[in-house]
Amino acid sequence: MQNDDVYILLVEDNEDDAELARLALEETGISTPVVLATDGVEALDYLFATGAHADRDASVMPRVVLLDINLPKVNGFQVLQRLRGDAATELLPVVMLTSSDEQHDVQASYRSGANSYVRKPMDFSQFVETVRQLGAYWLLLNVPAT
Amino acid sequence: VPVSVSCGLVRDKRGKIIGVLAVARDVSERKRAEEEIKRLNVDLQRRAAELSTANQELEAFAYSVSHDLRAPLRSIGGFSQAVLKRYASQLDAQGQNYLQRVCAASQRMAELIEDLLTLSRVTRAELRRGPVDLSALVAAVAAELRQGQPERQVEVVIADGLVTTGDARLLQAVLENLLGNAWKFTSKSDPARIEFGHTIVDGQPTYFVRDNGVGFDMGYADKLFGPFQRLHSADEFEGTGIGLATVQRIIRRHGGRVWAEGEVDQGATFYFTL
Repeated sequence: MQNDDVYILLVEDNEDDAELARLALEETGISTPVVLATDGVEALDYLFATGAHADRDASVMPRVVLLDINLPKVNGFQVLQRLRGDAATELLPVVMLTSSDEQHDVQASYRSGANSYVRKPMDFSQFVETVRQLGAYWLLLNVPAT
Repeated sequence: VPVSVSCGLVRDKRGKIIGVLAVARDVSERKRAEEEIKRLNVDLQRRAAELSTANQELEAFAYSVSHDLRAPLRSIGGFSQAVLKRYASQLDAQGQNYLQRVCAASQRMAELIEDLLTLSRVTRAELRRGPVDLSALVAAVAAELRQGQPERQVEVVIADGLVTTGDARLLQAVLENLLGNAWKFTSKSDPARIEFGHTIVDGQPTYFVRDNGVGFDMGYADKLFGPFQRLHSADEFEGTGIGLATVQRIIRRHGGRVWAEGEVDQGATFYFTL
């Protein structure tokens, strides 16, 4: 069942990676819309309906945020800390989607309140499979707080 | 002039003190030697610190280069796979073949980068020493290899109860590499046999992984452990040539040494001490 309000927020500064994520979603047949934020500031503006996104309906939150770590201006950890520090977003599911497999990044993510940590595979077929599993879990199986 | 003075009492036969003996020696030479040693020590410490910093910088550089290479490579591999998948019909056979080569090359480079990152991580990781059951680790690694290629018949002989002290995670990487190699290089042997055991070499307890695979020419023995060194073509046996460099770094970090003996078509034995 597709709900009109259901969408994914992808926070990704690399244009190619964003396009590959879009392609991968298409490959899996997941038709959930994806909103793209290309840096941490834009992600926060979008979620809190401020700045360039001041006219957005802030009550409609994404089903899941796919968050990169290395972002310009405000990095992924800082975005996460802001989200966890605000009542409107403290329970929002956030999945770190990054190429880093460094333990200090994994630990810092969970410490900052990430719900999950997923590595972007190098291989595109594997990336499609990762996106398929992420979609199946976060869009279908997982029950978000309302 | 710096002098060293030694004093003593002079007594007569009955033990009565009749005088004092004082000897003064010019010790400027000794002083100068001491100063020189002190200066050399300070110099040595400074150089060691500089070397350690340079090493760390080099490691950090290797790491960030490998890491940053991933993003463009993901684009090359990802988009060429996407073109092959979606637009293959618009390419003739040669065009498809070229694109397949791009995909294969980017996959190979991805493996190289992953292996380089592992090598760099091994060097930087803190050593966590504890008891390690090498026999159990070897059994687990062998089981995994069997699972990956259930069609292969390989006799794996493991000496029981070989327990040592070291970093379990890193020693597992050593055994994965050594057994993985033995597994790979016995793929043309029938019957294939891999043995893990223990022996004494030069009075030192030594572990070994022996196989009856393709072996190698001892003339290349010193090249085996260099990064990117390969003795076989990629068509013959796959691999990036970083596995044994990783093994050597881990063993060295444990204060041990690793070496190999072999003969072409007569198998190879890798020894290590800890």
